[in-house]
Parts: sequence; C-alpha cells; structure tokens
Amino acid sequence: MEDFKLRFYTNFIKDDRYMYLVKGLGNTLLITFLAVLLGIVLGFLVAIIRSTYDKTGKGKLLNIICKIYLTVIRGTPMMVQLMIMCYVVFGNYNMSKIIVATLAFGINSGAYVAEIVRSGIMSIDPGQLEAGRSLGFSYTQTMWYIIMPQAFKNVLPALANEFIVLLKETSVCGYIGMMDLTRGGDIIRSRTYEAFMPLIAVAIIYLIMVVVLTWLVGNLERRLRTSER
Amino acid sequence: MSDRGEVLFQIDNLCKAFGSNLVLDHISTEIRSGEVVVIVGPSGSGKSTLLRSLNLLEIPTSGKISFEGVNITDKKTDINKYRQKIGMVFQHFNLFPHKTILENLTLAPIKLLKKPQQEAETEAMALLKRVGLEEKAKAYPAQLSGGQKQRIAIVRSLAMHPEVMLFDEPTSALDPEMVGEVLNVMSDLAHDGMTMIIVTHEMGFAREVGTRVLFVDEGVIKEENNPQDFFEHPENPRLQEFLSKII
Repeated sequence: MEDFKLRFYTNFIKDDRYMYLVKGLGNTLLITFLAVLLGIVLGFLVAIIRSTYDKTGKGKLLNIICKIYLTVIRGTPMMVQLMIMCYVVFGNYNMSKIIVATLAFGINSGAYVAEIVRSGIMSIDPGQLEAGRSLGFSYTQTMWYIIMPQAFKNVLPALANEFIVLLKETSVCGYIGMMDLTRGGDIIRSRTYEAFMPLIAVAIIYLIMVVVLTWLVGNLERRLRTSER
Repeated sequence: MSDRGEVLFQIDNLCKAFGSNLVLDHISTEIRSGEVVVIVGPSGSGKSTLLRSLNLLEIPTSGKISFEGVNITDKKTDINKYRQKIGMVFQHFNLFPHKTILENLTLAPIKLLKKPQQEAETEAMALLKRVGLEEKAKAYPAQLSGGQKQRIAIVRSLAMHPEVMLFDEPTSALDPEMVGEVLNVMSDLAHDGMTMIIVTHEMGFAREVGTRVLFVDEGVIKEENNPQDFFEHPENPRLQEFLSKII
C-alpha cells in the first residue's frame, strides 16, 4: 500500500505531472468536439447529395465528387491521413496543430457519418417523400421537416458509435507532435520509467468518457422513441 | 351533371413509359369541378400511374396536363404551388410517424400557408371532429388502426383546402371491417361538393358516389360513362370481362 502511494505520488503529484493528463484530456476533448461538428456537417451534406442523386438522379457531378471523397477517406488509414494533413497539406505553413488535427479527424469522420446518414435516409419509406411532396412541400422542405427527423432517429445509435470511435481514434494525435490524453500519459511514462500507472490512468479516463457518452445517447434515444408508441 | 362546372384538369395525349414499357398510351380527358371520377381497371393497367401523374408524382414521358388552365407539365411551372391545391390520399396512408395527429394536420398549413399555429390547430380540431377522431389529436400514428389512419390522411389533405382530391386505392390496405368508415368519409366529402378522382376496387362505392366512371386497361381509357350505364350496359369486351370477374 505504501508502495502504491509512492508510485501514485511520483507519477501524478510530483512536479504537477497530472497536468500532462489534464492538458492532454483538454486537447482530446477539444479535437473530438470540433471534429464531430465538422464530421456532422460534411457527413449530412454528402449524405443528402448522395441520396438526392439516388432518388432523383440530380447532381451527378457532385455525387461523383462525394464518391471519390468516400473512397479515398475510407480506403486509407486515419494515421496516414493525419500525417498527410500535417506534413503535406500544411507542411509549409505554421498552422496550429489543433486545427490540423480537427480538419484531419473531421474530414475522416465525415465520410463515415455520410454513409450512416445515407443509410438512414434510404431506410425511410418512399411514401413519406411522396406524402410531403403531394402536400406542396419542396424536396428540401420535405427532407428537412419529414425525412431527416425520422432518419436521424434511426441512425442515432450508429452515429453515437462513430463518435465514440472518433474519440478513441484521436489517440494517434501524438504522431504529429500534439499532446493529447494518450501522449500526456506517455510523457509521464518517459519521466518516471513506469508504464502501469500512467497508461492505466489514461485507459480509465477514456473508458469513463465512453461510458458517459453511451449513457447520454441511450437517454436521448429513449426520448426520441416515445413517438412510436 | 358532369358537363357543368369549370374544367380543373385538361389532359392531352398523356404518355408514360417505364423503360420500354408503355404504361399510359396517349390518354386524353378532362375533369371538371364537382365531378367524382372513379377510375377502375385491372392491376397493372396504368390507373394509379394516371392518378399520380395529375400531381406529377409521376413525370409524364410526353403529353400535357393543365390544371385550372395552367400547364403544370411545363418545367417552368412551380409544381409545389399547385400541389397545395391538389390533395392526395395514398393506399398506405403515409402519415408522418414522428409527429402527433394534430401536428400531421397542421404541419403543411403552418409551413406552407403561413397560418398562425393557433388558427391551424383550431381548424385541425374541427377537421378531426368531422371524422370523429378529435380525441386522437395527441396520439401518434402508430397508435391508430388502419381505418383511423386513413381518415386522418384524408383530413390532413383537407387542411390545405384543396380544390380537388386524389385517392389512390384508399381502402386496399385496410381490413374489411374498416373499409366502411373510410368510404363514409369519402361519401360525405363528395356530397359536400368536393371534386374527387378515385382509383378503387370498391365497385359499390363507384356506383353510388361516382358521377363518372373510367375503365383503364393497357394504358388506355377503354370506356367511360355514368355509373349506371357503366355497370349495367358495359360495351367494351374487356370491361365486360373485368366486371364479370369482380361482381
């Protein structure tokens, strides 16, 4: 027990080492949050373009661009995309690492969100679109008032899962020299030459975030479901 | 009776092809205000396609449809504006499952006609009362029976004050004991003078409520007549065969 206390002290308290975890966690949360926003915007945009093409045949060129985006992003590893964003795209600019990481993760997430949302849109009975249009709603209005709310409800679990994956995926941020939660723990390890304490602490923090997120989404899902019965 | 009233729909040489399959073959007719036109025919004859062309849910391959003198098949026409005046009721109801019954009725009037919510709700409640479903205002579609859903679908269209109502096999998806309640609502509507175009297999209803019956087969209107002569003295051999099978 004394030994545990001492190890806890050297790993977290001494020299304010816990601050590596706090700062790292801050960066992890910030990047995840911004990337989720970007991913949602990109994902919904691409999903709407793709399903509009599937349903009406309009926007052929846009559809092709979206397809290329999906193929490239889903066909290459996240870590490679992150490094390309940092060393190739912004290689000659002194861009904030937060922005670089947000862009890389947001663009990556957008591709997965797009396919999730598209599957949600396509799962809605075509009669809903016809009912909306026959009342006089435009295609866009029908999408907004009638199709999207239902599609969103259907894909919420899959969408939440994607964001949980994204949260964990940001742990590769260290490769572009950013201090996220994982890197923070790793720095402690390099100072104290002990792996157990900092890495288990990092794992527990990720786990808590994921559990809380899962719980929140479960609540939201239940609230949205009430309209079915 | 059918030659009174102004022309609502003028249909000229309407054709619709799905690939190489010609579903509507140069159909021409007109529909006047106050008419209750019933379209019957075997399945796959094109009768639903004809109905769905009237509000451009199906885009005609060629030909022309005018509504109140405006060519709605013209690409420059803002079809959304005209669809507000053309109510439609579907075989599978197509209520909005994520909205309450009241919201189903008020969504379009509030968003499209820019009615204040209060006014739209008062009007919706009156419509619900008319079909005996005012106590369902706060319910969701999933809590309703098929017959109730279809009555709601009818008043949802009526909330837009349409000038004509299209019915696409409104009772075909219903359990037999629920057909009557929906047909009653439709009869009342007809007696109130609503212009109606109905695709149905309910021959008794066609005979009682219709002012004109069209027999569509192989994409062509093979016969049209007043209900009495249509059912008692069918001339077209295909119609005779069709009627002998179902009556």
